[in-house]
Amino acid sequence: MRSYLAVAVGGLIGTGLRLVCDLAFPHSDDAFPIETLVVNLLGCLALGWLVGGLWTRPATPVWLKAGLGAGVIGSFTTLSAVIASLLALTREGEVWLAALSLLVSVVGGLALAAAGLQLGSTLAHRPLPHDVSDAGETL
Amino acid sequence: MTSMALSPLVIAAVLVAGAVGAVLRFALSRAFPVRPGHLPGGILLVNVVGSGLAGALIGLAEVAAIDGALRLVLVTGFCGGLTTFSTWSVETIELLVGGRWRAAVLNVGLTLVLGIGAAAAAYLAVR
Repeated sequence: MRSYLAVAVGGLIGTGLRLVCDLAFPHSDDAFPIETLVVNLLGCLALGWLVGGLWTRPATPVWLKAGLGAGVIGSFTTLSAVIASLLALTREGEVWLAALSLLVSVVGGLALAAAGLQLGSTLAHRPLPHDVSDAGETL
Repeated sequence: MTSMALSPLVIAAVLVAGAVGAVLRFALSRAFPVRPGHLPGGILLVNVVGSGLAGALIGLAEVAAIDGALRLVLVTGFCGGLTTFSTWSVETIELLVGGRWRAAVLNVGLTLVLGIGAAAAAYLAVR
């Protein structure tokens, strides 16, 4: 129950932060969706860092992982906005820009998630976590 | 869309919708826990469903069936909170670190193909 509450509060915060970025970097439907990219890349780096540096600490409570991971960062980042921008760009005839946007999002997100995991675990002097089982509260 | 004036009520509704999406995502990922090395099914499911829903809502907004404020609450708030990019990326890297190349490629490929497919189909269906 405490985890659900933490996710709800984290969800409010993460959605709020994303809304602020949306309003700070507005773009038209036929332009590169820079704010979604920035939000997603930052979120991948942050979550990788937490999973590598904080989740690997045995004393980290489950509700904190749920609130920060599934709550704040999970709702800060978004896949639906990436795909919505692909629809918008394609409709405006910007098919190559849509393809480029998808490629940069996916490759950039994976690279920053990997960098975050590496940085987090290195700075916490713990081995890189692998085979993390996820029941919602761990990632 | 982003140029319209945002009332405090709309902003509050966007945040609450995002929180509801996040709680639903959390509940689904608990219902489908990921075993190490296997495809994260819960996150795949919320990402595909959330993308399909966003496609339908954007189509509905274009035919003026829903207004800009409701679109912001449901698409930016609910769909944005329901879907996630960070967990998907980190779980894919975890699969790679564990040597599960096929599961990692499948996780990226299935999410994109099903997510884009669901969004495009829903968008075209409602217009």
